Amino acid sequence: MPRRTRREQHRRNQRHKDVLHTAGRHRAHDFRCVGCRLDVSLVAPGTAHRNHCPNCLTSLHVDHRIPGDRAAGCGGRMEPLGLTVRTDGEWMLIHQCLTCARLSANRIAGDDNALALVRLALRPLQDRRVASSALLSMP
Amino acid sequence: MSSDHLAHQHHTTGAAFGIGTFTCVRCGLTVSAKSADGTRRNHCPSCLHSRHVLDQIEGGPSECGARMSPIAIAVLRTGDWTLVHRCVRCGELSSDPVCGDDNQLMLMRMAVRPLADPPFPLEAFGSL
Ligand SMILES: [Zn+2]
Ligand SMILES: [Zn+2]
Ligand SMILES: [Zn+2]
Ligand SMILES: [Zn+2]
Repeated sequence: MPRRTRREQHRRNQRHKDVLHTAGRHRAHDFRCVGCRLDVSLVAPGTAHRNHCPNCLTSLHVDHRIPGDRAAGCGGRMEPLGLTVRTDGEWMLIHQCLTCARLSANRIAGDDNALALVRLALRPLQDRRVASSALLSMP
Repeated sequence: MSSDHLAHQHHTTGAAFGIGTFTCVRCGLTVSAKSADGTRRNHCPSCLHSRHVLDQIEGGPSECGARMSPIAIAVLRTGDWTLVHRCVRCGELSSDPVCGDDNQLMLMRMAVRPLADPPFPLEAFGSL
């Protein structure tokens, strides 16, 4: 699905990484999604490196304090928990590790499953208890 | 741990650790650490902000102490709502259960925020 262009997009273009784009080489860096078993290429449009499955948005707990440090000993499955909006308007996915409950925020990629993203965005609004209590408390 | 940190530590009035009151670092409200439904609260019920006092990665107290702003509402597998906070200084994330007496309008505002500014046209999804 085409993405809307944002004012600051030129500033946040994907960093060029030679090794990932060398013919025949990048396949060693691909991963199989633990959620849906899809074979995923690490090359993702719009981000420097892919950290979640573009189909089901599942990730793996590999990073410790710094994104990309791959220093976590956990290795648990990270499921999409929710979405947040950065000050520049970009959507960020919030993942939570099913093993250790650790949270992380990750940029969405240009080819992420738009329907899965929208479903995640709608999830809090589909809870009728909360929606109705919010309406009742409005002045 | 700096003296500045200690000066702003949640002050406890109850016998049990962590039960008492704290002052919201964002709006100054004096907040009971026990919510109306009896659970321990870490965020202000009015502005939903919190403070980075627990190390979310290693566990135990954190020396950061900075303000944590609410960035997302999420629904847990249990169906309960949780509030995700991000520390304005160090970026650490935390999750804190939504309490029954939290500002509902603020919660709703956060819940609709992503849909107000989607990265793709929502019209394409028709009847969701
Ligand atoms: Zn997947
Ligand atoms: Zn983990
Ligand atoms: Zn407050
Ligand atoms: Zn912090």
